Amino acid sequence: MANIAAKRIKREFKEIMKSEEVIGGSIKLGLVNENWTELKGEIAGPVDTPYEGGTFLLEIKVPETYPFNPPKIRFLTKIWHPNVSSVTGAICLDILKDQWAAALTLRTVLLSLQALLSAGEPNDPQDAVVAKQFRENPRLFTMTARHWTNVYAGGPNIVHECNSKVQRMLDMGIDEHQARVALSSYDWDLERATEQLFG
Amino acid sequence: MAETSQARASPSAPGGDAGGEEDKHDERMLECNICLDTARDAVVSMCGHLFCWPCLHQWLETRPSRQVCPVCKAAISREKVIPLYGRGNTKQEDPRNKVPPRPAGQRTEPESTSGFPGFGFGEGFHMSFGIGAFPFGIFTSTFNFGDPRPSAAPRGTAQFEEEQFLSKIFLWVAILFVLWLVFA
Ligand SMILES: [Zn+2]
Ligand SMILES: [Zn+2]
Repeated sequence: MANIAAKRIKREFKEIMKSEEVIGGSIKLGLVNENWTELKGEIAGPVDTPYEGGTFLLEIKVPETYPFNPPKIRFLTKIWHPNVSSVTGAICLDILKDQWAAALTLRTVLLSLQALLSAGEPNDPQDAVVAKQFRENPRLFTMTARHWTNVYAGGPNIVHECNSKVQRMLDMGIDEHQARVALSSYDWDLERATEQLFG
Repeated sequence: MAETSQARASPSAPGGDAGGEEDKHDERMLECNICLDTARDAVVSMCGHLFCWPCLHQWLETRPSRQVCPVCKAAISREKVIPLYGRGNTKQEDPRNKVPPRPAGQRTEPESTSGFPGFGFGEGFHMSFGIGAFPFGIFTSTFNFGDPRPSAAPRGTAQFEEEQFLSKIFLWVAILFVLWLVFA
């Protein structure tokens, strides 16, 4: 790994450990390998959002050209959000692409991702299905996001309506995650979700 | 590794000397915004942001179409950064003139085995004195023997004779010059 990249990550790592966000527990950063090319991030779901109470894991890959090019980041925790792929965890955020600036750090990136959870941007979506629901049916979107936070990110808010519908499909012998995706994508219409899976 | 690093950087480590913390804060004022190290060959942008020149140069090279300050995204360019010279910095050389070299277009003269570029005998003898190959420009002429170029005057005319004569004179001057170069 290029000297400047490793040196900077080490420095950032030291600083982030002293930051108030890490001390306050809203973000975390850990090492994955010893050559500082891959890290593991963690952000807490912001309060007053469907993600509140959840913990979201992130895969952070540091390119050799860092900080001249952005780190490659994706969600490891499954999340229902218009700017994150519900399948791969890929993120659509300008600063991770063409708006990257060399003075940005892992700390500012993690905070930006946290802000993205507070304010989704459906007009620049990563997941078209989620973005459509976000725009057209905000109540269902919030419910779905809260349910996913509960199931995948350890959020405390149980959504009974979702759980019971997923259970209905489980009883039909459908895989749990597959059932959840189908129901989420079809606005929790049990009939259409089942049709889609068996159609 | 992960655990040791985390432990070392642990926020719970009590700051034993308050003075040391203050010094560190002062140092950070002079840190490059890209490598986060103390700025070397420091330059400051018009928007007031400090960088090592090599770091900023690499940033500008990475995104040639989007020349913005890495901190505040204001417009930035090589010409509009100010080099900073501290006290005791004896050789006050503009950092932009040293590492890394200016990425201007570069012309390389073709390699020559004879040690004399552009000089050779053969059919359709052609000799040219390129600018840079010789220390002076008056020999920037082209000599043609054998097949005349289409633009040359028709054979047999007075102009043709004159051109041949001039060419020969230039060739002799050139040969004398070469001999002078070799034996002087
Ligand atoms: Zn630097
Ligand atoms: Zn700036």
